[in-house]
Amino acid sequence: MKLTKKQYLYRGIFLILTGLTILLYMFIYNVDIKEHSKSFFYMDTYINVKIYSNNTRKVNEAMLEVDKIYEKYHKLTNRYDSYPNITNIYYINNNLGMNEKIKIEKELYNIIDYAIDAYYESNGLFNIALGNAIDVWRSYRIQGHGVPTYSELSNIGSLSIDDIILHDDYMIEIDSNVKIDLGAISKGYTTEIVGNYLESVGLDKYIINAGGSVKVGNHYDNEKYKIGIKDPQKGGNEIFKVVNGNNISVVTSGSYERYYEYNNEVYHHIIDPKTLYPPRNFLAVTVISKDSKMADILSTVVFLMPFDEGKEYIDSLINVEAIWYKNNGQIHYSEGFNIYE
Amino acid sequence: MEIRKLTMLSMLLALSVVFNIVESTIPFIGGVIPGVKLGLSNIIILFVIYMYTFKEAMYVSIGKVIIISLVRTGLFGITFFFSLGGAILSTISMYMVKRYTKLSIIGISIIGSLTHSIGQILIAMLMLRTFNVIFYLPYILILTIPTGIVVGMMTRNVLKFYNVKA
Amino acid sequence: MNKSDIKLILGLIILVILVSALMFIINIATVNGTKKALVYYDNDLILSIDLDDSEFREYKVSGYNGDVILNASNGKVRVVEEISPLHICSYQGWIDSPHEIIICLPNRIVVKIEEQKEKIDTIVR
Repeated sequence: MKLTKKQYLYRGIFLILTGLTILLYMFIYNVDIKEHSKSFFYMDTYINVKIYSNNTRKVNEAMLEVDKIYEKYHKLTNRYDSYPNITNIYYINNNLGMNEKIKIEKELYNIIDYAIDAYYESNGLFNIALGNAIDVWRSYRIQGHGVPTYSELSNIGSLSIDDIILHDDYMIEIDSNVKIDLGAISKGYTTEIVGNYLESVGLDKYIINAGGSVKVGNHYDNEKYKIGIKDPQKGGNEIFKVVNGNNISVVTSGSYERYYEYNNEVYHHIIDPKTLYPPRNFLAVTVISKDSKMADILSTVVFLMPFDEGKEYIDSLINVEAIWYKNNGQIHYSEGFNIYE
Repeated sequence: MEIRKLTMLSMLLALSVVFNIVESTIPFIGGVIPGVKLGLSNIIILFVIYMYTFKEAMYVSIGKVIIISLVRTGLFGITFFFSLGGAILSTISMYMVKRYTKLSIIGISIIGSLTHSIGQILIAMLMLRTFNVIFYLPYILILTIPTGIVVGMMTRNVLKFYNVKA
Repeated sequence: MNKSDIKLILGLIILVILVSALMFIINIATVNGTKKALVYYDNDLILSIDLDDSEFREYKVSGYNGDVILNASNGKVRVVEEISPLHICSYQGWIDSPHEIIICLPNRIVVKIEEQKEKIDTIVR
């Protein structure tokens, strides 16, 4: 059967359009691997976990476990709420008598232990015993005006790490009504645990975003994850830099997260243990390292250090990089940062 | 070349230059999207293709680009290469299409303005090394259709005077 | 006008639709980032303007024929003044996306917009 020219033409057009449509379809849906995303709200933060895997059943099981992990650490490290049958920070801070020892869960014990080590390693810059001073700042922040005096901040209660004593067998003792505040480490610490858990069950392609703490595993497509860093001077989703990497943790400490303004000055929530005031050098400091809890601690520590000291310190560490976003808008990078560009 | 033909071609050349200048003074066209124009000088080139041969059409086409560059935009400047690319591609395409396909003068005219713009974009991409210019393609594709039809119709009427069927 | 012409016109229309659709799709997977106007003289980058700043700003660069004045404001950029016979490039007005481009041939100036259009996986806040 011979086709007329017209019929050839129409068939030709039809085939071409079909071919193009198939190409377009393939182009859009070229990712074989499926993305599973779940959100949680713990530790006062909107947490999102994305897992890339074709094994939906496995992912669903893992997400349940991730939820349990975050919930557990949320409850344990919470200093504003109490939970029945859980000896958490709230309980320790408010209900424990002086020189009374109590047994706590090993997860809580370990995080406090790690934090106390960090105190000594950071020469006292990372201090979880500042709960009393933080409470004073919090009440001023809620009021929205006025600034506490140094004596107000230092006299309200002990700020000494030595008043937090860990004993054998997961026992803890509190002296001189010191108050523990784990806010600067809880997210990073838990995120690291969650990441390790996912890897242990074979789900190594993931993105965990716990607000200022991000941890990524292997990439789903043999590339590198693109992690945007929020620009502290701009609102919403504006970023000023993209960090490209896999199997890293990126944590930012910023003066824009929790603050109030009084007399044209900004008072934010990261307190210098020596002055008991929030320093005004940086709008944000971002630390990149493999381990999430280390990045969390370092971001606070480096935020509290003057720039030159901080840069020297970061440059001396292997596999740790940082970004300093100064108050005047200048942005500085650590020496080895270009591996993430 | 025969005197009569020479004179005719010269006048046509001058006319196409004038068309080009007039076109460029109209606001809107040529401003918003690079490469968009009324294409009035295409009437001349089309006319030459029908009245004479390919050779003559190339003379007028290239001649026009040279004169415009001399007079207005700068000889051997980038605009020169831009226009040259468009003109050559356009003339060759119009001739090929006239000889090897069944398109009427309308279709040839559309091809002419289309390839002129495409030629300019290609040269722009090459000389400026930007790929971005290609985003103007859809707009250009659409706009060449009406201008091509109008130019084709006008040329057909002119050719009627000379009893040339188009 | 004969059948061939009609086919040509229809073919062109289909082509336009396809090309537009393709470009639209290529555009979809983009997230915000920073937007910059890049000004080139021949192939050298001579000025980079941050377009995320909404303040109105004026810039001056040297083109082949003389000074070329640019304005930037609200994520857009345009050439205001240039020394050239046809003033085509100041005529082009504002551009604000990477699909648009200002070409000043006599001055050999090209203005492009670059958006950091990488698909960001996540943002650290």
